[in-house]
Amino acid sequence: MEISLLTKILFSLLGLFIVFNYGLLQAGVMRKIVARVAGRYGIPIYQPYIDLIKNYSKRTQITHGVMFYLGPVFRFSGGIGLFFFIPMIYGSVYWQNFSFSGDIILLMYFQFFGMLGMALGAGEGGQPNSIIGISRGLAQFTAVEVPFTLAIISIAVQYDTLSVYDIVAAQQGGIQNWTLFTNPFAVIAGMFAFLGLMRHAPFNVVMAPQEIPIGPPTEYHSTYLGMLQSNRVVLHIVEAVLFMNLFFGGATSWLELIIKSFFIYFITVFIGVVFPRYRVDHTVRWFLKIPLVFGILAVLFV
Amino acid sequence: MVNIIYIIILLLGIGFLLPITEKLGKKVSNSMFFLTLTSVSVISVQWLYAFIINGQTSLQFFTAGVKPPLSINLQLGLSESVFITSINILALIGAVYLIKHFNNIGIRSHVLYLLMILGLNGLVLTRDIFNIFVFLEITGISTYALIGSDLRLKSLIASFKYMLAGGVASIFLLLGIIFLYHNTGTLNIDGMIAASPLQSGLKIAGIAIFFLFFALLIEMKQFPANGWALDVYEASNPGISGIISAAGTAAILFALYKVMPLGNDLWFNTIAVIGIITFIASNIMGIKQKNATRLLGYSSIGQLGLLLAAMGLGFLYGGINGKFQFIIFALFISHFIAKAGLFWIAGIVKKKEIKSWGVLRKSPVLLFFTGSFMFALLGFPPFPGFFGKWELVLTLANKHQFLWITAILLGSLIEAIYLIRWFGYILKEKQEENETIEQGATKYSSVFILGTILFTISGLYMIYNPITNLSFYFYPLLFIAFLFITDNILPAYIKNILSIAGLSYYGYVYFNQFSEFRFIFAVIFLAGGILTLIPGFVKKGKRVGFYPSAIIMYVGLLGLLVAKDMFSFFTAWEFMTIGSYFLIIRGKRSQPHALSYMLFSLGGAYLIMFGFALTHVFSGGNGIALDLLNSIKSNSALIFTMLAIGFLTKTAAAGLHIWLPGAHAEAESDVSPMVSAVLLKAGVFGLILIMISSLRFDAKMIIYLLGWLGAITALLGNLMASFQEDAKKLLAYSSIAQLGYILFALAIMSHIGWMAAIWYAMNHFLYKALLFLAVGAVVVKLKTHNMYEMGGLIKQMPFSFVSVLIGIIALSGVPPLSGFGGKWLLYNAFILKGWYLQGAIIAFSGVVAFLYLFKLINSIFLGPVKDNFRKVKEVSIWYLIPQYIIIIAIMVISAKPKIVLGKIGDFITSYMPDNLVVWKGDVASSYMNGKLFGVWDAPNIMIIIGIIFVTLLSWLLIMSRKAQKVEMFNIVYSAERPESPQTTHFSHNIYSHYRKALGFLALPLIVNFWSFIVDSIHSIADFVRRLYNGNGQAYIMHILGFMVIIYFVLFNGGLF
Repeated sequence: MEISLLTKILFSLLGLFIVFNYGLLQAGVMRKIVARVAGRYGIPIYQPYIDLIKNYSKRTQITHGVMFYLGPVFRFSGGIGLFFFIPMIYGSVYWQNFSFSGDIILLMYFQFFGMLGMALGAGEGGQPNSIIGISRGLAQFTAVEVPFTLAIISIAVQYDTLSVYDIVAAQQGGIQNWTLFTNPFAVIAGMFAFLGLMRHAPFNVVMAPQEIPIGPPTEYHSTYLGMLQSNRVVLHIVEAVLFMNLFFGGATSWLELIIKSFFIYFITVFIGVVFPRYRVDHTVRWFLKIPLVFGILAVLFV
Repeated sequence: MVNIIYIIILLLGIGFLLPITEKLGKKVSNSMFFLTLTSVSVISVQWLYAFIINGQTSLQFFTAGVKPPLSINLQLGLSESVFITSINILALIGAVYLIKHFNNIGIRSHVLYLLMILGLNGLVLTRDIFNIFVFLEITGISTYALIGSDLRLKSLIASFKYMLAGGVASIFLLLGIIFLYHNTGTLNIDGMIAASPLQSGLKIAGIAIFFLFFALLIEMKQFPANGWALDVYEASNPGISGIISAAGTAAILFALYKVMPLGNDLWFNTIAVIGIITFIASNIMGIKQKNATRLLGYSSIGQLGLLLAAMGLGFLYGGINGKFQFIIFALFISHFIAKAGLFWIAGIVKKKEIKSWGVLRKSPVLLFFTGSFMFALLGFPPFPGFFGKWELVLTLANKHQFLWITAILLGSLIEAIYLIRWFGYILKEKQEENETIEQGATKYSSVFILGTILFTISGLYMIYNPITNLSFYFYPLLFIAFLFITDNILPAYIKNILSIAGLSYYGYVYFNQFSEFRFIFAVIFLAGGILTLIPGFVKKGKRVGFYPSAIIMYVGLLGLLVAKDMFSFFTAWEFMTIGSYFLIIRGKRSQPHALSYMLFSLGGAYLIMFGFALTHVFSGGNGIALDLLNSIKSNSALIFTMLAIGFLTKTAAAGLHIWLPGAHAEAESDVSPMVSAVLLKAGVFGLILIMISSLRFDAKMIIYLLGWLGAITALLGNLMASFQEDAKKLLAYSSIAQLGYILFALAIMSHIGWMAAIWYAMNHFLYKALLFLAVGAVVVKLKTHNMYEMGGLIKQMPFSFVSVLIGIIALSGVPPLSGFGGKWLLYNAFILKGWYLQGAIIAFSGVVAFLYLFKLINSIFLGPVKDNFRKVKEVSIWYLIPQYIIIIAIMVISAKPKIVLGKIGDFITSYMPDNLVVWKGDVASSYMNGKLFGVWDAPNIMIIIGIIFVTLLSWLLIMSRKAQKVEMFNIVYSAERPESPQTTHFSHNIYSHYRKALGFLALPLIVNFWSFIVDSIHSIADFVRRLYNGNGQAYIMHILGFMVIIYFVLFNGGLF
């Protein structure tokens, strides 16, 4: 069934709205969980909404220049763009967004769009802590990308396609068809990479709040920070959905999507509260050891 | 026709008359001196003309109306006339050069000089073996006296050593002649040859010929019995050294040539081996040499060794006719003119140390000729030696003498080490301000005439060579000559306009003549040429030397595409190398990098030449068409590997890359994009040629290895780039990596893989030109390469910032710009090919690229401005124009890749039908086993991203419309008050943690390896050189030792 472009756009925007709100609530829940683990009462789960509103309504704003201005735009475009290029609900023509413009390679490289722009914006801020954060972030990301790429290669070969939609299609028909069970090495490698991507402990040295106050976004405040926060909630969900699509059979309804993506994201939070932080060089080396081995196994035994 | 005997009579007679005429005054005697030399030259030229144009046949002359041995028997044929013409003209020019020196010494030197020339003429002309002895003695004695006639201690000692060696040689020569006469009953060489003494089986004949050849080998200064010769070259007046080195050796070479038929194959082989050993040993020792004239001596002896080897091989393979005549003459004439010229220039420069020769820069004309002579010696086009070497290699390949080819090429490469290094010193080494070189019309004009002769002969070779038609080069070379001549007259902008016009003209002419790959590369070369020339308008003054070099390079690049045969291709390759060398060395600190560039290029070029020669042989030995690459019948893998390594030196694959960072980084700002964005593609073009040829045989294993090499190159290049602090070096390492991608993609050998390769090649051309232009312009403006000294330039240089921004987005492969197309094609290609691990390395290095790209733009343009750069302005518009043309091009091909990729895909299909990329409208898709695999909808992606970006930007603009603009340091800085940009600009070594983790991959192991090679060669050179301790007695011992060795070699071979 073909749908008109306008319908497609409207459904995509609606999907974005759902993801955005779900993301905010999920962020609240996760922070609450973390607080409880630490023995604190924690924030109300609607706190992210309050933070967002507060940031968008700040009256004092400063700017360091054009690129500083464009940083959050790049970043948020990256998040929303990624959303637009990922199919959300399998089997429904309405929730495929614009995923047919490209394939998994587009998603892999489009992740950089926001990162790069954000890095440049933060760079113009002139705050050395930002650059420290960025240099760590980029370094960590290079290592994370290795098991991730191997996992992607592995499943692309497994399913004979680079299209995310087709990968999900191939996993239908029962839990035993999930990549998790048909190609466990790839999933292990991919999920290791996911830990690095989500930047919870032990891989959160990029932000390292005590040492380089929140890293790259240090200089960002008010609307800029609001945009970055908005991006973050969208991005977290989108990334989780991507991994859900690749490894965990995708979702055929919003409910399934929410449950699956919640747990996928929860894995990183869970590990984050259990493990201490790695240094960057440790992170880089670590990713090039165990996850790399799993990645290689994944491409060898596909 | 004047009887040839008058040459002898004139030289001898006037020689004896001179002391008398001196009484009439110096003017009279000098006039007679020159008149004699002129008449002698005229006589020889007249005969040469008769032989070449009128087809005169060989003549015999007898003196005194009787037959030999009572008279002198002379023979004059084409070869003789060529040699005496060369000798006599050189003698005349040499006399002009030396006249002041001679006048200071007195009339005796004039006499000695005439006698020496007489001896040389006699050596060439005589057909009587005893006369050879006589003329050798005349030459020898007059030369000893001439060397010592300035009565300096050094030259006297040298002359004495010469006398010792000459004496020993004479003794054996005479003994040999006596025994031979005894054996054959004649002194006439032809008679002796007819009697074929070696056939007689008599021991005495063997011994006689042994003595004869041995004596001539000593005179030929063969290793190791040549220590005396080096002292002679070093200590004599350079004017005389030039004559000895050129004319003297020419005559002896010819004398040896005449008696060679007395030998047999064993002898020919032995002589060739002695020659090649001398060639290699002498050049190795030259490496360590710092004294200019002694170095020329080494080179001289080396060249003699090569000539001797060629002659020995010629006789071994059927005598000196046809090919070998051509080869020997080409090698000979290059050496003859160039060596004399270099010695004479040494006499003008008067600097002992080669490092002090920078003073030559004061005279552009001399500098030009020095370069020409050196490149002629090394056998570069358009000089005759180039043709000679090619034919030599091809002929030897036809005889399957691969070891010989290897030795000859190795020797040539070693020779290049010291000559190019020396030339580098001349061009770049710092000089004291008040240093001067000798002025004086006589010496300058001699060198000038010699140089003109060299270029005339080279021109004749370019036009009339029997190998192939090089008419393509006619007008370009004229244009280059014009640029050279007017180099010191026209201002830079006029030359720039002319150059751009020239390239545009060729673009217009050749636009429709190229197809397929050639068309793509023509666009890169010509458009690249024009774009990178535009910044030249910035330069004030004349920019001497730039335009001829640039045009030589571009002519070479274009020549590669025009070439239909292997020789033309190789010619173009060498032109390109020369031009780029001169461009690279223009940078302030480029000298060592240009040297290593040249040596790697030459090594690569020799491999290519070798590969071509093998192609010729193993495709059936018919012709040299470039298409023969596709019809090699055996040894395909070997040939493929050789050519591949040759081309990979140009693309700087890991292991062969060490020349690139320095060469590209230290080059001038508009040269870097030329040599990086444009020149590197020449190697890619070569790779494409041979990879197409590899479709016809099983090269899977080699190509598989090339794939790995490409992946490793990509990773190492990017890692190294991340650790650089020098902005241009960073870009240079990045080029290495990008060429690694291209190699990897080519090695995939599928439709989609090759599309990736060509897409990468085109894109690398665009974004690397863009980045090098932008960064180069900034570097020029700030006068530093170090990124950590820059910072915050976005406000001063917004246009440059945008260029770099577009450049890095395109390079990184982030959608929606064109780089993503490359990534998409590449990922599809390697997954479809099944190269997962290599692919993962490629993917990894792609991410590593972000490290340096961020560092590049952040360190230069973002962060706080340094105090000393607060007032800098945007770079010159001439740098920005090409940048923005490139940006437009990037945008167009990003939005509509099909307009380029579609066409590329069409013609790749005919070579690589596997893994097709299919277009539906603007959507590219790949298929695996007939099933849709990957999709790339470039226009759609661009629209979606564009809309999101614009929407969010508008929203932010509305939301933060009141944002207050703040100054530097107005930042959140916990508990500290930043005060200087240096303390807040985090830019130096920002990836220290990464170095900690992965720095071991970027250790300079390859550099260490090559340093080890260099050190070893130097140590060997130093060790062997100690043989020559300057002691005359030791030299005699060497001669005798040499004799014993040859004796035993021949004895072992069964000669006696």
